[in-house]
Amino acid sequence: MTVVDSGAAPAAFDHEALFYRGTDDFLAGVLAFVHDGLAKDEAVVVAEPRDRLDLLRDALGSDAGSVEFLDMADIGANPSRIIAVWAAAVDRHVGAGRGLRGVGEPAFHGRREAELVECQLHELLLNEAFDDGPAWRLMCPYDERLLPRAVCRGALRAHPMRSTAQHRLPSVGYAPDGHVAALAERLPRPREGVLSGRYGPGDAPATRRTVAHWARSCGLSDEQVGALELAASELATNSLRHGGGQGTVAMWTGPGVAVVEFSDAGHLSDPLSGRLHPPVDQEGGRGLYLVNQLCDLVQVRTSPEGTTVRVLTWL
Amino acid sequence: MTALPGPDAADHVCWVYDDEAFDAAVRQFLAGGVARGERLLCVGERVIDSVRAGGDGDDVESLLADGRLELLTVAEAYAATGRFAPERQLAFYDAATRRAVADGYRGLRVVADLTPLAEDESARADLLRWEHRADAYMASGSGMSAMCAYRGDLPADVLTDVAGAHPLVHAGRRVPAFRLFFEEAGLALAGSVDTFDADRLAALLWSSTAEGPVVTLDLTFLEFIDGAGCRVLARWARELATRSIALELRGAPRIVERMWTLLGFSALAPVTFAGAPA
Repeated sequence: MTVVDSGAAPAAFDHEALFYRGTDDFLAGVLAFVHDGLAKDEAVVVAEPRDRLDLLRDALGSDAGSVEFLDMADIGANPSRIIAVWAAAVDRHVGAGRGLRGVGEPAFHGRREAELVECQLHELLLNEAFDDGPAWRLMCPYDERLLPRAVCRGALRAHPMRSTAQHRLPSVGYAPDGHVAALAERLPRPREGVLSGRYGPGDAPATRRTVAHWARSCGLSDEQVGALELAASELATNSLRHGGGQGTVAMWTGPGVAVVEFSDAGHLSDPLSGRLHPPVDQEGGRGLYLVNQLCDLVQVRTSPEGTTVRVLTWL
Repeated sequence: MTALPGPDAADHVCWVYDDEAFDAAVRQFLAGGVARGERLLCVGERVIDSVRAGGDGDDVESLLADGRLELLTVAEAYAATGRFAPERQLAFYDAATRRAVADGYRGLRVVADLTPLAEDESARADLLRWEHRADAYMASGSGMSAMCAYRGDLPADVLTDVAGAHPLVHAGRRVPAFRLFFEEAGLALAGSVDTFDADRLAALLWSSTAEGPVVTLDLTFLEFIDGAGCRVLARWARELATRSIALELRGAPRIVERMWTLLGFSALAPVTFAGAPA
């Protein structure tokens, strides 16, 4: 086995998965990475759930003041929002001529199954988002002891580099362009209790009203109903404008979740649709971004066969 | 709106007509003016027919005789105002309203058939500007109120455009998704604005003659607006800012403020979010 030198400055985006077993192992791997960055006067941004942020803050002591901490449970509640956060950090720091290294643990222990699925897609899309951009480093810790094995296997596909507190190696399982297949995967279908209807030209208002009415009947809060109504309008509008002029809306509830799903015959040509902040001067392209920002979890699947956007609201 | 509400000093009603319900609406609207002590002015043959269709011919004649009611055909109205232009229209109605008040009336109540103008494609942009201008004039406490009548077989998009510039609309199935109109404190946007309405809203906002250091837009009765609709408001705020006018959004649904932040619209122009007017 070859140990790859982690000290050299990367020439491009460097995306690695850190596999750890337990708190000490986590701290050993992440602290070495953070200290190395601070020693090189790089900007260091750490996105972890709150309990791990506290651990790191304590362990860093006086160095903690030089690190920017973000609560992953907040910024990454819907993993489709995370790329915009890193893009902003790249703009802010690399754009200003400084080196940047990030630590981001989207797939932390305790997340729901559907969230972990979206974390995997998010990790694959990070490569698509940053591979052609400026150099910076991102380390993504994975709790090997507590996470399902499939999640750790998925991490090997999503990261060109794999590491532990002791080693850093190329990941042989890495799948460049792995996002294409992940985006084309079908979402599991609910068995029963699905309300559905079709919409066509002129139906955006009726569609959003139907969804709002249903959301209210599920007992969702005014704020959640408002977010879903907006999501319904934006997604139906996308179908009418770019998805063949018609689509289907389906609604159902599962344990702890209310689901609204929009499907049409369109294909999102940009795999990062809705994940980057739309420039204010851009004409359109705000719908999916807004849905990602306002809704609890959003699952986008798109291929030449069609596009499905599933919006989940936790009850 | 299916029936007219009780008469008010600043009524501005859009009535799209295609049946005899219009005759009754015209007479009801004018009767409200009589009850309020206002002078009445009717413009257009179709409106005059409605007035005379009431059956009580003596009543109309006596109103005409004592100068309370004036009936103008379209040709006569053109002769009085000259070629159609919003500024000339405003001057004409302002003078007529002042004259009514000077003669001891509480104001001037107008029913005008604007179909001939709406039929003239070259006049449509000016017509929209005039409707918006007239709405501001009526909401300003001038004493003028009006019912603007449009024949129902006009193109649907023309009807939607003009109806959207009225606080009260009777248009059957062609009811516009949103309405932009003046109220005492400033402009108000009511109804629903989505991507498909955004251009229409932009046309109306840009035709608005908003003035002053601060323009307020009341969103209390806004049922829904999407990202594209919000962007029209943000672009309008930028346009106002180039004229040193600040935009205040009142009573905005919370989600509008959230969208504003999420989409970074404050980078276009500063906008103040204020609570609903009392």
